[in-house]
Amino acid sequence: MSDSKAIGARATRTSKVEHTAGDPPEAETVLSVRHIQTEFVTRGTVVRAVRDVSFDVKRAQKVGIVGESGSGKSALALSILGLIEPPGRVTGGSVWLNGREVPLRDDRRMGRVRGREIGLVFQDPMTALDPVQSIGDQVAEGIRRHQRRISRKAVRRMAVQLLQDVEIPMADHRLDDYPHQYSGGMRQRIMIAIALANSPDVLIADEPTTALDVITQAQIMDLLERLVAEHHTAVILITHNLGLVAEFCDVVQVMYAGRLVERSGVDDIFDGATHPYTEALLRSVPRSDHLESGPLPSISGAPPNLAALPRGCAFEPRCPIGHGREVCIQEQPMPILLGPPGAEMRVECHFASERYERARAEGETR
Amino acid sequence: MIRFMGVKLASGLAAIFGASILAFIFLRIVPGNPARLILGPLATQQAIDAQITTMGLREPIYAQYLNYMGGFLRGNWGFSYSAGQPVTTQVANRLPATVELALYAFLFAFIAAVVLAVLSTYRRRAIIDGTVRGLAIIGLSMPPFWFGILVLMLFFSYFGILPGPEGRLSPTTAAPDAVTHLYTVDALLHGQFATFLDAVWHLILPAITLGLAPFAFLVRLLRANLLDVSHEAFIVVVRSKGIGRLWAFARHALPNAFLPTLTAAGLILAQLLSGSVLVEKVFNWPGIGALVSDSIVRQDYAVVQAFILLSAFCFVVVNIIVDLLYHVIDPRVRVS
Amino acid sequence: MASSAEPRQAASQRSAGNGPRRDTPITRIGRGLAYLWHDPVLASGLALGALLVVVAALGPLVWTASPFAIDVGSSLQPPSLTHPMGTDSVGRDLLARFDQGARISLATGAIVVVVSALIGGAIGITAGYLGGWLDILLMRMIDAILAFPPLVLAMAVTVGLGVGVTTSAIGIILTAVPFYARLLRSDVIRLKALPLIEATAALGATRTRIMLRHILPHLVSTLLIQAASVFGYAILSLAALGFVGLGAQVPTPEWGTMITNGLQYALTGQWWIALFPGLGLLLAVTATSQIADRGRDIFDPRSR
Repeated sequence: MSDSKAIGARATRTSKVEHTAGDPPEAETVLSVRHIQTEFVTRGTVVRAVRDVSFDVKRAQKVGIVGESGSGKSALALSILGLIEPPGRVTGGSVWLNGREVPLRDDRRMGRVRGREIGLVFQDPMTALDPVQSIGDQVAEGIRRHQRRISRKAVRRMAVQLLQDVEIPMADHRLDDYPHQYSGGMRQRIMIAIALANSPDVLIADEPTTALDVITQAQIMDLLERLVAEHHTAVILITHNLGLVAEFCDVVQVMYAGRLVERSGVDDIFDGATHPYTEALLRSVPRSDHLESGPLPSISGAPPNLAALPRGCAFEPRCPIGHGREVCIQEQPMPILLGPPGAEMRVECHFASERYERARAEGETR
Repeated sequence: MIRFMGVKLASGLAAIFGASILAFIFLRIVPGNPARLILGPLATQQAIDAQITTMGLREPIYAQYLNYMGGFLRGNWGFSYSAGQPVTTQVANRLPATVELALYAFLFAFIAAVVLAVLSTYRRRAIIDGTVRGLAIIGLSMPPFWFGILVLMLFFSYFGILPGPEGRLSPTTAAPDAVTHLYTVDALLHGQFATFLDAVWHLILPAITLGLAPFAFLVRLLRANLLDVSHEAFIVVVRSKGIGRLWAFARHALPNAFLPTLTAAGLILAQLLSGSVLVEKVFNWPGIGALVSDSIVRQDYAVVQAFILLSAFCFVVVNIIVDLLYHVIDPRVRVS
Repeated sequence: MASSAEPRQAASQRSAGNGPRRDTPITRIGRGLAYLWHDPVLASGLALGALLVVVAALGPLVWTASPFAIDVGSSLQPPSLTHPMGTDSVGRDLLARFDQGARISLATGAIVVVVSALIGGAIGITAGYLGGWLDILLMRMIDAILAFPPLVLAMAVTVGLGVGVTTSAIGIILTAVPFYARLLRSDVIRLKALPLIEATAALGATRTRIMLRHILPHLVSTLLIQAASVFGYAILSLAALGFVGLGAQVPTPEWGTMITNGLQYALTGQWWIALFPGLGLLLAVTATSQIADRGRDIFDPRSR
């Protein structure tokens, strides 16, 4: 991403993206998400949690997904895994892993994919482990599910190895302990061990450090970083901690009201976001390199009601650029590719090209 | 752990002590004249006075209590004048029938509750769930003695497919040689398959009737627990390992939902104990419950008194066992 | 029970739409009815309960046949126009007896609910509010009562005091008291720790005043829900005691004793004797459990 600094050398390309469900994903790509739609229906009201989300993840790539609470991040993660429970339902789209379409709507066949090709690290380590089963059993469960022909002893050896990998001291001994005997950080390590048990190609980490203190957070992220590097695992990190994303990820995806409004290389986005929402989001985070006086700006207005979304851009009522503009009220913006070919930049805003060009011009004069 | 057990045992003993005093007060002090009841309306005043003295009723109340409890603990539960037998003998004769019925009733309640609770929560179909909730409400509101009559009218009188209120076996079937005194078990032990079937045949209606209230109670509890547990994050995590819905449900949701139901064991025992008094009469089941309700009608209260004390004793003991068991089963409580 | 949120919302929307809020009794009733429209379970429970109350109150006025008049000539008659619920073995009209039975059941239920609520409530609130040795003493007494299966203890009391409806009711009250006492005690302990109550105490309110003005109102919903379940428990227990011969005695038309009476005829074709009183019981108890159930959903956000 370092060459993205050479903005002047870039041939600009702006075009509308049209993914079709049948696209054969590119060779390097391990995960392709195409037009995923997820809805929750409760008593006649339809909450559209995920709306037409498409993106690709390359091998060993680290993608961050950020957004406010309720922007559909977690619903997206569960949709990719096919784990949306009624009253929710994935109503459209497809997911591709290593070039093969994943049987999202076939729970039995999906079971062969989950845990083997995609792993999940869940938000709250306190409730993510079964309180009445030993850690060893819970780690072994995933191994046994996908590697049927190995002996009990071998499974146990593997479980011990996994616990050692996530740096649990006295792993052999602690295997027979129960979750309540572990601290929060330790449980999150166990979660990572469980998710990586079958060396999946993709790991989805949903707020893996939110419930932890700062020091433990750093330890967990270091561990995650080391392990995914060793396994060449691609990571989708879901968080609302932008600092975490800046440190850990290659690519940032911003979600708003169930849509992926911006995707950019991590350096691009922290240098200057193209989508007004991303810009506002970044401004509301305290940064050590921008020590200005005065209160931290917040995004005015309330997050949209997912059960009654406007016709046009969902951010329009809160948008400093588009508020009140006819095109923003009437039309849902389509994703626009920006930057040189191969640049990971894609923005859903009617003014994306305009804003991008202006930012580039400012960058040159600076 | 030892301290905890000590506390539990002590409070259990205190409860039994309190319960025995309560039972004694209501059964010894209040009724007018037990001697008159025993000797009948034609007895002379002299005979009654003599009887009162021999029964120890002239002693101070605390002495009477100590006498009675001392006797109770030594196995002297009083004398049933209407049967002309010690209460201990009567209870011993009738206990197996009650135990067998209660076992099958519990089995029915438990299996039906688990199946229906799982059905109503596993797929979350509104119709199934509504039906199960309705069944639970009706089950808890149903007078068991009336339900017994209802099923007898239906399945015996009307359809004629199940036996009537004739006890544990058909009149033509001989009881199997006694080993456990439970007919179904004894019959199987001796390979008497026809007897076994006959015994099971006679158990169906009484067991369902007696099990209805515990079933309704359990299904409500289990359903609520299952709903809670199935929303827990760990179920999603289990599923993310590639584990199927059914297995995640059976291996993770159910055990977690079951744990709290263990504390309800005492309540279920209470339902079975009081239920047996009501249900055995309807089916002419030769158990303790029928003995108690017959004794009530004959005003032979020695039996009733023994039953009441015995129930309190069982109830307290079961509650202590549940508390201890909880510590063995639940890893969260076990270690701390 | 996820359905509980929706009717509440609907009702609040409706009340919000009433424009300027005038809280007259009529608008209150209107809001209540609007609420019920969205809650069929509660509505059906209340309707059933109301129906039984009407039957008990007005039945004997409308159906004037005597519940006690013996007419051996027309014994064991199946339901017909002259005897809609048939007659029993001595020719008494069973509809008249059913009505009378409804009166006995509902009245006993109501008395048990009120008396046990007063006793149990007083014990629970005192124990919870004052704490200390009094709390320990009262709770040990409650534990002693709870060491019995409830119906068995009620039997013991009735045997002790002598059989009959009144003594049965006393026995049932004794077993219902712990329900209230336990629940209210834990509620009071929870409320006592609330900042509101602590602040009131800090402002110098007396204990009695805090208890009456601030704690008691919070307990009303708990009390009402508990009262509904105790009501069902009470009529079921009264019938059970009647059935085993401890409750109402022979000519009294109590539902439980009527079922006992019908037991010996049930299998010889006279199904109606035991059927109707049992049906009455079932409906009465179902209605109250529905009300209690929904009440718990509505008032207690913790239980779903």
